[in-house]
Amino acid sequence: MRFQLAALSLRRHASRTLLAVLGVAVSAAMLLDMVMLATGMRQSFATLLGRNGFTIRVSPRGTLPFDTEATIAQARDATITMQRIAGVTAVAPVLGTTIHVLGGPNPVTAFALGVDPAVQGDYELLEGREPVADALVASDALLRATGARIGDTLDVAIGFDPQIRTYTGRRRVVICGRARFTYLSADDRAAALPLASVQAMGGPDRSDRVSLFMVRTAPNVDPEATRLAIERALPRVTALSTAGAIAEAEHRLSYFRQLAFILGAVSLIVGFLLVTTIVTVSVNERIGEIAIMRAIGVSRSHVVHQIVIEGIGLSLTGAAAGLILGVFTARWLNSILRGFPGLPDAIDFFLFQPNSAFRALALLVASGVAAGIYPAWRAASLPISATLREEAVG
Amino acid sequence: MAPWEAAVRTIAIDQRLAADAGLRVGDLVVLAAEPGRANGDTVRIAAIVQRRADPSEVARSEYRIRMHLDQLQRIVGYGDRVDRFAIATAGGAAADSALRRINSVAFGFRAYPSREIAVETSKTFVVVSRFHRAIGMITIVASATFLLCIMLLKVDERRRDVAAMRLMGISRATVVRTVILESSFVALLGSLFGVGLGFVTSALVNAHYQAVYRTPLRFAIVTPGTVAYSVLLSLVLGIGAGALAARRLARTAPLTLFGR
Amino acid sequence: MSGQPLLLLRDAHRDYPHSGEPVHAVRGVSLDITQGEYVAIIGPSGCGKSTLLNLLGAIDRPTKGSVTIGATAVSTLPDKAATHFRLTNIGFVFQRFYLLPVLTAQENVELPMAEAKVPATERRSRARELLGYVGLAARADHRPAELSGGEQQRVAIARALANRPIVLLADEPTGELDARTGGDVIALFDRLNRDGMTIVVVTHDEKLAGAARRVIHMLDGRIVRDEPLLRRA
Repeated sequence: MRFQLAALSLRRHASRTLLAVLGVAVSAAMLLDMVMLATGMRQSFATLLGRNGFTIRVSPRGTLPFDTEATIAQARDATITMQRIAGVTAVAPVLGTTIHVLGGPNPVTAFALGVDPAVQGDYELLEGREPVADALVASDALLRATGARIGDTLDVAIGFDPQIRTYTGRRRVVICGRARFTYLSADDRAAALPLASVQAMGGPDRSDRVSLFMVRTAPNVDPEATRLAIERALPRVTALSTAGAIAEAEHRLSYFRQLAFILGAVSLIVGFLLVTTIVTVSVNERIGEIAIMRAIGVSRSHVVHQIVIEGIGLSLTGAAAGLILGVFTARWLNSILRGFPGLPDAIDFFLFQPNSAFRALALLVASGVAAGIYPAWRAASLPISATLREEAVG
Repeated sequence: MAPWEAAVRTIAIDQRLAADAGLRVGDLVVLAAEPGRANGDTVRIAAIVQRRADPSEVARSEYRIRMHLDQLQRIVGYGDRVDRFAIATAGGAAADSALRRINSVAFGFRAYPSREIAVETSKTFVVVSRFHRAIGMITIVASATFLLCIMLLKVDERRRDVAAMRLMGISRATVVRTVILESSFVALLGSLFGVGLGFVTSALVNAHYQAVYRTPLRFAIVTPGTVAYSVLLSLVLGIGAGALAARRLARTAPLTLFGR
Repeated sequence: MSGQPLLLLRDAHRDYPHSGEPVHAVRGVSLDITQGEYVAIIGPSGCGKSTLLNLLGAIDRPTKGSVTIGATAVSTLPDKAATHFRLTNIGFVFQRFYLLPVLTAQENVELPMAEAKVPATERRSRARELLGYVGLAARADHRPAELSGGEQQRVAIARALANRPIVLLADEPTGELDARTGGDVIALFDRLNRDGMTIVVVTHDEKLAGAARRVIHMLDGRIVRDEPLLRRA
């Protein structure tokens, strides 16, 4: 009968109950979104970095991968040194640069990666074959911009001398494949060529140089130990493990995590306050009824249970509605943040993880329980005769 | 001073580098293009400078030094090259004419007004701004719902008073006006409190993030426009919620309000 | 009517603090009520009769003295035990009916039985039976707002009888009713007493007091006159 009484009491003031549920739903949606934001970035970044099995990134000392235009000299020697370190199973060199595709009315500028196709981890071949000398794989955006297809030949240059208005490092390359670039956005014009081709096109400035090494370690090897070994063997580089990269990214994006925490906490507090207020007012209106129930022999705990059930009902219904609302608002907010320039396609800021989501909502429902307990206990503990007297007078 | 010290050139470093590397004015350091190079240029630190409040530098942990152009060109092997020129002009019209003149005679480079560059490099902050606006909208919806709920409850609590007033002959309009007046007062007080809280919070946010990112940049700024917008919005919401609740109460028959 | 006292008050006092000074609502009242009696307690407003009824109903505890109902010293029971005692032994009827507005008449009568963990089928049938007893079988599915004052009070009486109490206590049961409906309630009490129920009513209503078999007069917290076996008109 307690559930029946609780449900009827909530229905008694339907518009008030509906508003309260709506308020809790918005709080729940906000809480869910903030939980998704707090965990989403880290999770999707970790997934992105670990996608091709590379656990360590090696960049010029004091820099992060592609943070600056600095490069690592004596790349061949560095590769051999790292391959000799215990636990290293693959070393993938990457040289990043800009290329200009000539021939059309306006040159098309694209980001190019010089890679070793046998061990690369920067793109996924969708069509065609891996590039060999004088061939490249291109992103869909680059193909669209140039109007080219697989099999076409492009006139590309690696540099532009503004003094004499001449493109340098020119070469004719064949488009041998179409690829999706893992660490770039879908709108980025990008191409991948063999490392030796890019180094040759870059002239002495790029000879035997790379921007980055990606290192794969054996499954049972501690990446941190390997990372330290690389830094010891090559003092002119900085080695970053996946965990370190995530930590660095989190530091740079710490604002979002802190915002998520603060807004999440505020949502929880607001939801709690709303349920407390509703339950308190509802209880105050029914003080006389509660005193009667106590007078006819209904126990204090029964009264508290019934009122707590009302609080749970509000919170649970609000949380369920908030779950649906939260998923939609998360998509909207995610679409806004995905507008960050240069953000890889694979990164999502808001990631729905059932465990985290349900834990957060369970916290909200628990706060609904707590919200009901105090006003319920207070009402159930009022002296019966005095309350009846006051209610009769009132 | 030793003879060789007279030939040492000077640089300025930023506060962050000074703090992290334990450097002070007067210290000698070696600058080189590659790490671990023994034969770089020995220079003296002549000044420690504060970083500009540049949003684009906030999340980057890099250090900055200022040195003589020719020395840097020589150390990195850049030759007689620069990345860009920054040109100061006498004012708006002078800037436009300088722009036109430079672009007409430019040989291999182009001049842009600073604001165009600012827009281009601000895309990240445009995204952050849109995100904040979206969060703001959600917060407003949540606040409006909460406000309406609380107003309904508070006005409902007064229904016996309202019933007594109506039975005495006081008109619906007077009842509604009284409730709206009360809710306006509460909304106004709440708005003023909220503005104060906003000032305090923005000061805390700035203090916190300036320390975290080691920058003089102000992350939160409370402007007269922001205050006016917020106060207006909260007044509209508060009074609107009170009006809705009052109308609902006034429409109910007095005896029903008494529970009969 | 058995000669055994069912309700016993011995030197019962009840004081309330009021602006720093104690108010002596009940002062040293001793009272025996035997099983099957029909007692009316009358007196001016503020004389302590409702407070006395609350002491008898284990709703309140005396500041001094004792209250025994049956074999149970209710004045020393902890709250939980007192609550359970009320549920299973006392039937209470109030001036303002106090039915739960969200429940139907039947559900209001079932409420104490649900609390006493009576199975659903049993309590539904007993509730119907009780509503039939008070003449409201046809109104079982109506909510209090759809019932007249007299009907509501009869539902309240049926609710008070739900768990087969040993005594029925009523505080101004006709206070909110007109003469005709009040008469219906008085007739019902009379019938209950003839069926063996021990009844104690607090009232200003002369007709109700006249229907009782014993009248206790109170003044300033004390019993000033006790007239058992009042002759009926």
